Amino acid sequence: MTDNQQDPRPCQPLPGQWPQGGPQGAALAREVLGYVPAAGGRDEIHDADGQVAPHWRYLLDALGALGPQALAERVHKARRILRDDGATYNVSSEPLASRAWELDLVPQLLESEEWGRIEAGLVERAELLDLLLKDIYGPRELIRHGILPPELVFAHPGFLRQCQGLSLPGDHQLILYAADMVRDSSGSLHVIGDRAQAPSGAGYALENRTVMSRVLPSLFRDSHVHRLSGFFHQLRQKLMALGSGDGIPQVVVLTPGSYSETYFEHAFLANYLGYPLVQGSDLTVRGGRVWMRSLEGLRPVDVILRRVDDFYCDPVELRGDSQLGVPGLLEVARAGRVAIANPLGSGFIENPALFKYLPAIGRFFFGREPRIPSVETYWCGDPADRQRMLDELPGLVIKPTFRRYGQQSVFGSALDEAGLASWRRRIAEAPLDYVGQRHLAASHTPVLEAGALQPRPMVLRSFAVANPTSYTFMPGGLTRVGLAAHTRVVTSLTGSASKDTWVLASEPEKQLSLRAERPAPGIAVEPGVMPSRVVENLFWMGRYAERGEATLRLLRTLFLQLNGVEPLSPGARRVLLRAVTEVTHTLPGFCAADAPIAHPETELKAVVLDSARPGTVTASLRAMLQAGEEVKELLSADTQRVLNDLRDELAALEVQLGGELVAPEEALDPLVTTLLALSGLRHESMFRGMNWRFWELGRGIEKALQLISLLQATLVQPLADGDIPVVTESVLLTCETLITYRRRYRAEPEIRRGVELMVFDESNPRGLIYQIERLHRHVGVLPAVEQQQGLSRAGRLTLEALTALRLSRLDELTARDAAGAIGLAPLLSRFDLLLHSLADVLAECYFDHRVEQRQLVQGGWGYG
Amino acid sequence: MRYRVEHLTRYCYERPVTQCHNRAHLLPRDTAQQRCLGSAIQVSPAPVVAAERRDYFDNRIYLFSVESLHTDLEVRVVSQVEVEGRNGLEPELDFGITCAEARERLWRGAAEEHLLAREFLLDSPMVRTGTALSDYAAPSLADARPLLSGVRELTARIFREFAYDPGFSTIATPLDEVLESRRGVCQDFAHLAIGCLRALGFPARYVSGYVETQPGPGHQRMVGADASHAWFAVYVPGEGWVDFDPTNDNMPGSQHITTAWGRDYADVTPLCGIVFDGGDCREMTVAVDVERLPS
Repeated sequence: MTDNQQDPRPCQPLPGQWPQGGPQGAALAREVLGYVPAAGGRDEIHDADGQVAPHWRYLLDALGALGPQALAERVHKARRILRDDGATYNVSSEPLASRAWELDLVPQLLESEEWGRIEAGLVERAELLDLLLKDIYGPRELIRHGILPPELVFAHPGFLRQCQGLSLPGDHQLILYAADMVRDSSGSLHVIGDRAQAPSGAGYALENRTVMSRVLPSLFRDSHVHRLSGFFHQLRQKLMALGSGDGIPQVVVLTPGSYSETYFEHAFLANYLGYPLVQGSDLTVRGGRVWMRSLEGLRPVDVILRRVDDFYCDPVELRGDSQLGVPGLLEVARAGRVAIANPLGSGFIENPALFKYLPAIGRFFFGREPRIPSVETYWCGDPADRQRMLDELPGLVIKPTFRRYGQQSVFGSALDEAGLASWRRRIAEAPLDYVGQRHLAASHTPVLEAGALQPRPMVLRSFAVANPTSYTFMPGGLTRVGLAAHTRVVTSLTGSASKDTWVLASEPEKQLSLRAERPAPGIAVEPGVMPSRVVENLFWMGRYAERGEATLRLLRTLFLQLNGVEPLSPGARRVLLRAVTEVTHTLPGFCAADAPIAHPETELKAVVLDSARPGTVTASLRAMLQAGEEVKELLSADTQRVLNDLRDELAALEVQLGGELVAPEEALDPLVTTLLALSGLRHESMFRGMNWRFWELGRGIEKALQLISLLQATLVQPLADGDIPVVTESVLLTCETLITYRRRYRAEPEIRRGVELMVFDESNPRGLIYQIERLHRHVGVLPAVEQQQGLSRAGRLTLEALTALRLSRLDELTARDAAGAIGLAPLLSRFDLLLHSLADVLAECYFDHRVEQRQLVQGGWGYG
Repeated sequence: MRYRVEHLTRYCYERPVTQCHNRAHLLPRDTAQQRCLGSAIQVSPAPVVAAERRDYFDNRIYLFSVESLHTDLEVRVVSQVEVEGRNGLEPELDFGITCAEARERLWRGAAEEHLLAREFLLDSPMVRTGTALSDYAAPSLADARPLLSGVRELTARIFREFAYDPGFSTIATPLDEVLESRRGVCQDFAHLAIGCLRALGFPARYVSGYVETQPGPGHQRMVGADASHAWFAVYVPGEGWVDFDPTNDNMPGSQHITTAWGRDYADVTPLCGIVFDGGDCREMTVAVDVERLPS
């Protein structure tokens, strides 16, 4: 089945040749999809006469013909793609609680001609804000000439005095810009917000486009939609042009990390543009330049695409307590040795009080007022405005002049008398901090909900990047819609859905996509240099995945043995339960004096589910997912899918293990299978670069350590003769070696043969010698970082382990002494130490050791 | 008057520091009454990168990074400064524009200087105004009183009513607490006066600098010598900025040497920055020597 066969193909898809016979598309859509426009306000699909606008007809026809059933399938497909791509918007600081990005399948349509007008207005606005930015951090003519009240600038927390005189190469200082717009009842668009700090959404818009073109391919193709790639092409050109040195500049994308609400987009953009994604701690200032810490050492950085708010970027001169920044960054930027887009200090432009003064600023710089209007705004710093604001509060939207995380606009109409009084007080106390905006009832656009089209209010965000002479806008942008027909706040934070925005081309466009770009001949492009933090996270992904898997396998064995046909002897029961506690380091557990040996279910469940206790299945796998989140940009779509499954299965465990335990091992199986899928992907599809090697190292070290703990907790312990078979069998089962054992020896499990299989058999991929050999090989090809001849420190450790293993004799190791213990014990302790040292040495040599960072002056004045 | 000022700052750390980035406001600026004839800054261990720049307030800042391992960081600045101005006798202040006029003129018309001075009416990182401050200052700054005379009285009251107590406050001590407990050091008194003036609608700024160590014959040795000093200035529409020193109950003349000014201490911290590793700072010492040179 192809999509083409399913998509309806009305006879005249070319724009400009719409059927003249009346609103048949609308009729169809209304019939099939039941669209009834919301009362009041404007509806996007209807023109002034209440007729369906011609440019919407084809789409509505197509959707109507597709019908609710097929649309539901497409919705489902779109969700799956978004989930597989890891498209999320993090609404809390808990990164694993992120919410899937919501995409509505009905695109927002704009005619080419109308978009041309909007774009011209937006270009003008961007140019104006650029002049404003240059003036505010330059001569401040706007204040000197009385155009801007001094307080509007001087009292705004986004005005960073330290950024006075900063200058980027090229004509523009405002590199990236985004405007939020709504359409009022007269049909004209008004800007309701400017984004100039680190505008987000362009990456989501691209993701939306990718999904739409996949789930509605022929509709998309036949609609002749303006492409988005020109914007990203220009973004890349601009970032390259900001680099001042010779050769190809190294550009990085600076993110606050996986806790950021738009982290998906940071990773997505970094990938799409081909730049490393870094956090503040991946960068360092040395010798007056910015460097990235990579496995191969420090690599110079020329341009930073910034997604960290400016005041966090440099604790030396901006917020001293920030851990997200790069100490010394501002001075490097001042010296012109690194370019930051947007420049530090640009957050000031987002001050909504500027709306009131933009016409005057336009007259000052251009001799005329800007074409595109802003929503009517009162600034309480102006005495007359303050009075108006206090009088008219019930009809206004109250906004802070400085946007802080999680702060929402307040609607005067939603406040009761007490609420109004309280806000009047707040405004009177800090008038400079608030604006009042006339509430614009946003226009409605159809969204698909429960098989029908429903009207929702919409906000359009459009994105610009500076080009050599002016600004390039992404055609359309990101449309967001309210949760319900009369929702007033439309932001991603409140859970709004988004739409792809289609500017319908009047003629086909030439293809332009980053994929088609080729580097100039003769210039070698750096193979992906990566911050060493990334490698560290892959290492830990490997370790946690292995730790989780080992715990799962052990618990599975326990559940089987505890519920087995043959009851366990009290001794064997005690040894196996204690092994759970010792291997997982979840003390006291079954090692406590009053341990619940007779009724172990609650504690065993806790070892699976308790996310607050390190060592439990949930804790290990969550840590693994968290490490995965940190390296999101490197994971393939398949890997992302596996991680998603894992997250879902973890959530399901809670329910499955909720009541009485019935065959609990069954509940653990899917997790083991999914972890194996992850191993398979690593094995089959990862390039054998350093990423893969460190993942393997983490996995191998953990696997060996887990086996060592397991043997220490079981076979090395003094065991009654009668318990030896069942304990050995349990260990073999846990290590997936039982079948081989039975096939090979056809006898009751006993220690000597068990140890031979699990420690010395070089063909057993779960065996100790196998792991140590592989570790030794990986360590041998790591980049040299030490100033010494011969073997590296890591190499010495693995060689010692390997040699000790090869030189030891099975008979001596498995002989039992008078106390009933076997000779394997000291060897295992030695290995345990060597492997832990190996992990430490790797961390010391290759990973970003977060240095302790403090402010120079603390506490005392130190002065008279 | 000509001076040689030597300002030494030393930090000792528990463990070696691997790297530090710093910003210093230690080089004296030029003012209407003062010319810096020359200054030399010496950092040990030697910085790998260093630059002198002008900050937002046109003060001289020195930015430097040290990348060699060190447990002691030493910053030594030696400057020669020429200061003109009164020595001893204070001007007659009981005339000129009144408090009410000053407030009114500041907001009338569009004189550039007035517009820019309004920056110093606003709350700043370390000075938040409030009714406690305006209540304290109001008796000295009645509407009909000449502004400078009122500010002079406020200066005297702070000197009289507050105890100079180096052990009391730290950078983190809020202004309310200083006001409440009536004690502090020069930075606190400067912030206090600034907060009082802003609360009543008069722009005020923070001035950091030094006072002469060796008093001339017949003069008392001033508090704040052997350390860096701080005072404040008030903006008088039509006249400009006028300095007052509440720690010494006087008006800075030729014995005060200005380093930098800003909204408050945070804008002109003598030395600040970020240190990597090193553990706690075991000891921080500051030594200042102001020597009068033969003219």
